[in-house]
Order: sequence, then C-alpha cells, then structure tokens
Amino acid sequence: MTTILVPETPRKPGRSPSPYAARTQRTSLGRKVRDNLTGHAFLIGAVLCFVVFSWYPMVRGIVMSFQRTRRGETTWVGWDNYSRILADPSFWPAWQNTIYFTLLALVLGYAVPFFVAILLNEFRHAKGYLRILVYLPVMLPPASALYLFKFYAYDPSEAGLFNAILKALHLPTSQWMQSPEMTMPAMVLASTWMNMGGAVLIYLASLQNIPGELYEAAELDGAGIWKRIRHVTIPQTRLILALLAMIQIVATMQLFIEPLILANGAGAEDSATSVAYLIYQHGFFQNDLNGAAALGVIMLVVLAGFSAAYLRLSAKQD
Amino acid sequence: MAQDSGTRTLISHAQLRRGRGRFIYWALLTIVVVGFTLVFLGPLYWMVTGALKSGQEIAQTPPTLFPNDPQPQNYIDAWNNLDLAKLLFNTFYYAAGAVLFQLVLDTAAAYSMSKLRPIFGNVILSLMLATLMIPAMVLIVPQYVTVIDLPILHINLLDSPFAIWLPLVANAFNIFLLKRFFDSIPEELMAAALMDGATALRTLWSIILPLSRPILGVVSIFAVTAVWKDFLWPKLVMPSPETRTVSVGIYAFAGGTPMNVVIAASVIAAIPTVIIFLIFQRNIMSGLTTGSLKG
Amino acid sequence: MSVPQYRKAAAVALVAGLGLSLTACSTKSDDKGTNAGGKVTITVDCQPVGAQKELLKNWNDDVAEFQRLNPDIVIKSVSVGEQCNNPPDFTARLAGGTVTDVFYGYMTDLQQVLDSGQAMDITQYANKDAISTWDSVDPVLKEVFTDNGKLYAVPVKNYSMGLVYNKVLFQQAGLDVNNPPKTWADVRAAAKKISALGNGIAGYSEYSAGNTGGWHFTSLLYSQGGQVLTADGKKADFNNAMGKQVLQNLKDMRYGDNSMGSRQLLQWGDLLTNAGANKVGMFIGAPDATQAIVSQFQGKFQDWAMSPLPGQDGPAKGTLGGGEGYFFKKDLTPEQVKAGLKWIAYQKLTPGKGQFDYVRAKPQNYPVGLPQPLLFANGSDAQKQELELRKANANLDTANFALFEATPVPIKGEPRNAQAVYAVLDAAMSGVLTNPNSNIDALLKTAEEKVNQLLAAES
Repeated sequence: MTTILVPETPRKPGRSPSPYAARTQRTSLGRKVRDNLTGHAFLIGAVLCFVVFSWYPMVRGIVMSFQRTRRGETTWVGWDNYSRILADPSFWPAWQNTIYFTLLALVLGYAVPFFVAILLNEFRHAKGYLRILVYLPVMLPPASALYLFKFYAYDPSEAGLFNAILKALHLPTSQWMQSPEMTMPAMVLASTWMNMGGAVLIYLASLQNIPGELYEAAELDGAGIWKRIRHVTIPQTRLILALLAMIQIVATMQLFIEPLILANGAGAEDSATSVAYLIYQHGFFQNDLNGAAALGVIMLVVLAGFSAAYLRLSAKQD
Repeated sequence: MAQDSGTRTLISHAQLRRGRGRFIYWALLTIVVVGFTLVFLGPLYWMVTGALKSGQEIAQTPPTLFPNDPQPQNYIDAWNNLDLAKLLFNTFYYAAGAVLFQLVLDTAAAYSMSKLRPIFGNVILSLMLATLMIPAMVLIVPQYVTVIDLPILHINLLDSPFAIWLPLVANAFNIFLLKRFFDSIPEELMAAALMDGATALRTLWSIILPLSRPILGVVSIFAVTAVWKDFLWPKLVMPSPETRTVSVGIYAFAGGTPMNVVIAASVIAAIPTVIIFLIFQRNIMSGLTTGSLKG
Repeated sequence: MSVPQYRKAAAVALVAGLGLSLTACSTKSDDKGTNAGGKVTITVDCQPVGAQKELLKNWNDDVAEFQRLNPDIVIKSVSVGEQCNNPPDFTARLAGGTVTDVFYGYMTDLQQVLDSGQAMDITQYANKDAISTWDSVDPVLKEVFTDNGKLYAVPVKNYSMGLVYNKVLFQQAGLDVNNPPKTWADVRAAAKKISALGNGIAGYSEYSAGNTGGWHFTSLLYSQGGQVLTADGKKADFNNAMGKQVLQNLKDMRYGDNSMGSRQLLQWGDLLTNAGANKVGMFIGAPDATQAIVSQFQGKFQDWAMSPLPGQDGPAKGTLGGGEGYFFKKDLTPEQVKAGLKWIAYQKLTPGKGQFDYVRAKPQNYPVGLPQPLLFANGSDAQKQELELRKANANLDTANFALFEATPVPIKGEPRNAQAVYAVLDAAMSGVLTNPNSNIDALLKTAEEKVNQLLAAES
C-alpha cells in the first residue's frame, strides 16, 4: 500500500546514494556502523512511538480478540468474542450505516470541496473572505458544530431552522434525525459542512501550483471548461486527490461523533449506529473490551481487503 | 483591481474581462459570496443569537431572527459552569505539545530516512506507511489498554498529556510529507555541508530546517487540527473533568445543561481559534501552497 | 563525525524518545495509605462539581467536620463529573485502575467491578462497630452488593421509579394536582389536556436513545406486571401482551393524540432540560429527578410532585428500582478500609449528618421531604429517626409525595446484561416514537430475537 502514496516524482533522489552512504563506501567498517547508529538515533523517538502506540497495539488487539477477562483473570476463548460480536443485533446495521455514510460522504464530502476550490480559484475578488468563510466551521470544536445542527437545524418541530425554511418555501418538512431515511444524509450534510474547509484549503493550494501554460495550451486546442478540468485540473492534482480520497474513506469509516451527538447514539431504530459506535458500546458500556477488540480486528480485515482491492485497481489503471 | 493577475487559471483573465464573461463572472461571484455567507456564516449567526434567546423563545414557531429578550446570562453561565477557561487551556496545551513532539520526533525520523538512510530505514518506512490505512478506531481498544498500562514500564498515562502527545507522533502521514519534502532538497547541499565536517544534527539544523519552513508549518497545522478535532481518544484517556478538552467538555456538559447554555459555550470556545486563524491565515495558506502538496 | 558530537545527536533523539516517556512516571504518584504522621489517607470520588455550588459546599463542610472529629484521617475528594457514574468513564477508571480508594458505583455495576479485579471484599469490616446504623440498613440492599456471600460495597442510596408530574402545568390544564393519574389511560387523558396548552409542551415525555429508552421500557413493562427476561435469565420475555401494551400506550400518545412533543430520541439530560423549562407535563423517574431538575436544569422543585407508577388497569404491578453504593479498591490497608467506612457512615448513613442533614438543606435550593433514599429497613430505628427529621424540615409539600409513599409498588431490579439489552430495546422505543406507521408486533419480535441472540452468545 505504500506505492500509491509515494509520489513518482521525476527525480528520484532516494535512489542515489546518500552523501553519507557515498562516503562510507570508502571508509572503515567502524565509520559505517557509527553512521548507521546516527541514522537510527534520529529514528528512535518516532519508532518507539510507533512501536508502543501503533504496532504493538495492533498485535495486542488481535491477541485480545481471542481472550476474555473475567474476575480479573484473562483466559483464551478462541472465537467466542467473534461469535458474540457477529451475533450482536446491531452488527449488520452498523456496517450498512457506516458504508452508506462513507459512500454518501464520497459523493458529497469529497466532490464538493474540490469544485468549491476550483470555483474559488477562479475568483479575483473576495478570495480571502471566501476562504475564511469556508474554513470557519472547522474552527468550531466538533461537538459544538454538531450541537448547532442538532438543536437548531435538525429540530423536528417547526421551530427548527430547516423546517422553518422548508415550510416558508411550501415544501414538506422532515423529521431529520428521527426519520431513518434522513438520518444518514443529514449526518453527511453536517459532517461535510464542518469538515470541508480543510480539504478546500488543500485543494486550493494544489490548484495554485498548476502551471498556467497547461490551460493555455488546452484552450488553444479548443478545450472547453469541462474538458480543461478533466484533462488539466484533475490529472494535475491526481496525487492529492487520491491521497485525500484515501484519507477521507479511512476517516468516514470511523464515523462516531456524528451519531453520538446528532442521534444520541443509535438513532431511530438503529439507523445511526456505526461500527465505531458499536465498538464504543461493547468496550465501554457493556463490559466487553474483548468483544470490542474483536470488532476492531474485523474492521481491520475489511479495510485491508478494501486497500488491496484499491491497489489492484490502481495498478491496472497504470 | 485584480489581486494576482499573474497566474493563469482555468479560465483566462481576458475572457473574464470581456462583455459576457464579465457579466457571468460578477453574477457568479455575487451568488457565491451571498450563498457562502448564508451557508457558512448564517449558522454561526444563529449560534451567537440563539445562545442569547431564552428557553421559551427557542421553542417558538417560526424561529425568531433576533432575540426578543437577549439573555447574556447564558454566556456567563456557560463560562462559569463549564470552566471553559480550563478546557481551552487544556486543549491549547495538548495542541502545543503535539506540535512540539511531532516537529521534533517526526522531523528527525524523516530526516534520517531521507538523508541518512541507515540500514533497515526503508523497512521501517514501509512499516510506518502501512499504518496509514489503519484507522485509529481499529486500534482504540488495544491502544487504550496499552496507555493505561504501558508495557515494561507499567506506567498509567490516563489523565496525562503524554497519552495525547505520544500516540500522535506515530503519524505516518506527517512523516511521509516531511520525508518527501526532504527528498526534494538537493543532495549537493548536504554534501557541501559534509565537506565542512558538519555533523548530521548540524546539517539538519542549519541546512535542512531553514529550507523546510513551509512543510513544518503544514505539519504543525495538521497536528493542531488533529488535537482540536479528535473526540473519542481524549474522551477515553482524559476521564477527569480537570483534564478534558473543549470538545469532550462540551459533550459531557451538554448531558445536563439547557441547550442555549451549551450553544453559548460553543460560541465562546470557538473565539480563540477563530482569532488565531485570522492572524495566521496568510501563513497557513502559503504554507499549504508551498508545502509540497503539489500534485 | 567526532564521538562527542555523535553522542550529542544520539542523546537528543534518545531523550526525546525515551526520556519524555519516563517523565510521565512522575505525573502519577500513588500515595500509599499511611504516612509518617500516622495519618490514614483515603481518596473518595463523587464530590459534587463546581457548578453545584451548594452541594459542593456541603460536601466540603462535611469533609472538614469529619476530619476535625477524626484527626487521624485525611479525606481526599475527587470529582468525576456531574454524573458520578458515566459508563464510559467508569469503565475507563476501572480498566485503568484509577478508581479512588473508595469509589462510587451503581448496584448494577457489581459484575463489572468484579470482572475488573478492582473490588475488595469488605465483609469482615462492614459491621455495627464501623457503621452504627449498619443493622438498620435494608438487608435487601446489602444483598444486591453481595456476591457468593461476600460484600463488596456499602449502599448509600436507593430509589424506585414513579410518575413525576408538573403541578403548574397540571393546574393550567385544569387537572387536579392532588389526584394524579393512576392508570396509563389516565396518563393518556392528562397528557392530552396538558399538550393542548400548546407552546411546545409535551404532556408525557419518554426516552428512546443512549440505552435510556430500554431502561424506561423495563420500568413500563414492570408496571404491566411483565419482566424483560425469563426467571433463569436465558430468554427474552417481553414479546407478549404486556410488552405490546407498553408500546401501544406510547404510540397512542405519540401519534394518536400527539401529546408527547415532536422531539424524540431523548436521553437523560434532554428530557430533564425540557422538564426544567416547564415543557414536560409528566414522565417516569425516581424522586431525585426533581433534584436534578433544580440543580442542573434551572427548574423549581416546588413545581414538581410524584405519584406511584401507574398500571394498566389499577396500581402498577411493579416498578424498577436501583441504587448506588461505594466500593472499596483492592489492596487497601485495613486502616484505610476502616477509615473509608467511617467516612461513609458519617456522610451517608447517619440521620442528621451529611446527606441526611436536613436542617442544612432546608434553606438551600434543594428539596427536603423526598421519599428517598430509602436506605433503612422499615421499622428500624434509623428509619424512624430519618423520617422524623425529614418531616420536621421538609421544604416542600410532602403531600405531593404522600401518594407515592403510601402506595408502595413492588420493586424489581434491572435485568442481567442490562446495558446490552437496553441498547436493543432502544430501537423498539425509537421505532414507536419516531415512526407513525411502526408495527409494534414486528418491533417486539425483532427485539426479542436480538435479545435471545445476545443472551445465547453471552453464555
């Protein structure tokens, strides 16, 4: 999975020997060892953090998922935790909801910031103002932004902002978070509103690095606006697009705070339960940290499968 | 009147200055400015004024545009009851620490893998990058039990800021960004420094870092955002009211507080960040632009 | 590079990596019980938070007075939030071993506390010598905190649910404050009248999220005479006429009469917020709900009264009860356990002191006269004493609670595996409260299957 993320820059400095390495070829073994030690000395801090907070927990998570702690004693229980998690009635709804949210967020949360960035990049006026506007929601603590939606926008009565607007426009009002059909779209909307600023800024930055001649050349070839976006803008920002797509998918799969705050957890008839919320329920409400670890491992396997598929697809494309 | 007419974008300037193009440009600009103001500033207006309304007024149909009988008391209650000063301090403290730790440790690691290239460096890099695909949620339980009883040392990090700082160092994305940037710094510069007998640390300090300001800015922004946006992890590892972050504090508080006070607390909590963003806006943008985020 | 310089580089990296995590050591100091001066120190949690000014002052005064009376004991108070037992935080403290020496927990927490390996067997310490009122404490409550003949906690509060109603709204709607609804049909009729007041007022309000929906479903089911699980705890037992009646009652009020307000998916704080703003006519809850309405939700306790839980055709056949206690952390020294018991005895179990200091509470903005905490067995000395003090200092009309006290409803505890079962039942509650076309039979059938699945997987 590293290949998609490491850029294929024209010059590959990594391939040429490091100045240190170049020197060591001609020097003593002792020097070589010392230089290697220096290199590792610089690495050690980060590596230790990875060991303790990333690599080791991954192994430990797998181990935990086959154990159970009862009365302060930990025993091996085989696949028990997995069968308990699979038997959890919210297991399948949680996956459905999470995947639905991820897909919806890809359509809305992923495409919208890109086009907003393209639009903003064209304006010669009010640029700074618009940029600040888009970024404002990012500065709210996430809980605050969600309470804003919960209390005002998604209020199911006609005192709610959205319903008041819909009513003024003579459109049917909605129950928002209380309607299983609207739960996910409403969550995606709130989530996009509060998170898109970051993506817009990153896209804006990468748009500013596209050489103007490319557009000029395309225009001379008679390419219209859409064609120019397709053949110049998108290829030129391909890496950052791919990167943000990955980041967003990984982020949305962890959907947690939106259901927790907007829907008080599970929502109407489990329509808001997410996998992460289920992990939280098992781990911290139902006295079942081992079951929660098992669900974490399942999530890991699913995402590994997903990235394998993604890699195969992108490999085919190249 | 054009701010940056130098760079050509999707649509040429000439086209935008001519009759129809000019009209469409201004029409679109007006629509976008008005639309964005409504979409992004509107809710914040609603928030600031909503927090001034009484409980009765909030439930009114249709909602009122201005508070009839402003209740600034809501803001005072929010500030006092929630101990917002403490929460904000905690959050900024965690954010500052996160920036410091990531700048020091991740930069050192990226530098080593990019320029010093010790044996197994590539293996370590791949192992780090492999974690990019692993969402925090997958590891939340084992990570949590690790933090409450660190292996070998048997230290409990609950309620200690290290429980937030150290796991954030294990951030493959930032290391990747930094390494990529360092890769683009010509080897010749390094070689020259070496000739002068400079040590690895000295080279990093006086050659690499000065050239890397933009990317260091980007990593700092990401570090701050990560702390500001994270919710479940700080909620779990900071269980005491004294150590909570703003977001967790507001959530805990919302369970037992009238909603206008919750909203008032949210408004106050957002003010410092908005001010900081407004001050550093240009730096952040230029950091992102030059910070190796090109496609 | 020269050796010293290399060392410097390595040292920087090492200090950054290792050293800092070592400094983390010093952030947690564990003070072990007895110090040089022969004083015994214990940490105790559930100190009120700063926002609860009077409660906090009372607590601190109690600590000061207790330490004056017991100069060899030092009490270190720890506040763990407005809700002393917020499940995720409680789990975190248990798993992390950061619970205080004497820590607060619900009756239903016993299993989890035992599983965490944090609990201490206090059977040999809890007796009349340590707690003078120990023999008056209701044996049923001691039983709840007992496992395999061993006692793990001291009960300090006990409650059962009834119908909490707003007197102001009752009067406005032309209902008789002294004749609250006795059956669910009465509740429905009253709710209809109250919601007719408009202004977003809900006649009756109910939970359906965050596991609280399932919790209240349980209580409503008990009122019908039902039970959530079969006696052996192996099967769901609510998919029957009684369970259907519970949901049907709610559906009738929600969509038949539209008397439950439009905001649903409520959990604890949401409902009480509305109640504090006088937007709720009735809900079911324990007497201390009125206390929370006052201390946290800006309401007035004078506005509230309480009657026994209604039943379908007469008085309720049962109601949900629960309570709180203080556990003791494992590995405490005997002196610490004794000191802890002494403190609990002083603050929680002595009529006239601590939580029973009604003289102090009377002028404060807290209700005195609530029929709780019902800690002492009927007819015991301590109970009589407490009752007299309560009556003498009541700052609210005890008549409001007279019905509740005069008509005791059999109390049932929470089901096994309560939180997981509640999570399932939330879906049935939210279904009936948010979907006008919900199919009660289907909702209950699904919930039954889910609970059975869950119980099968658990065993």
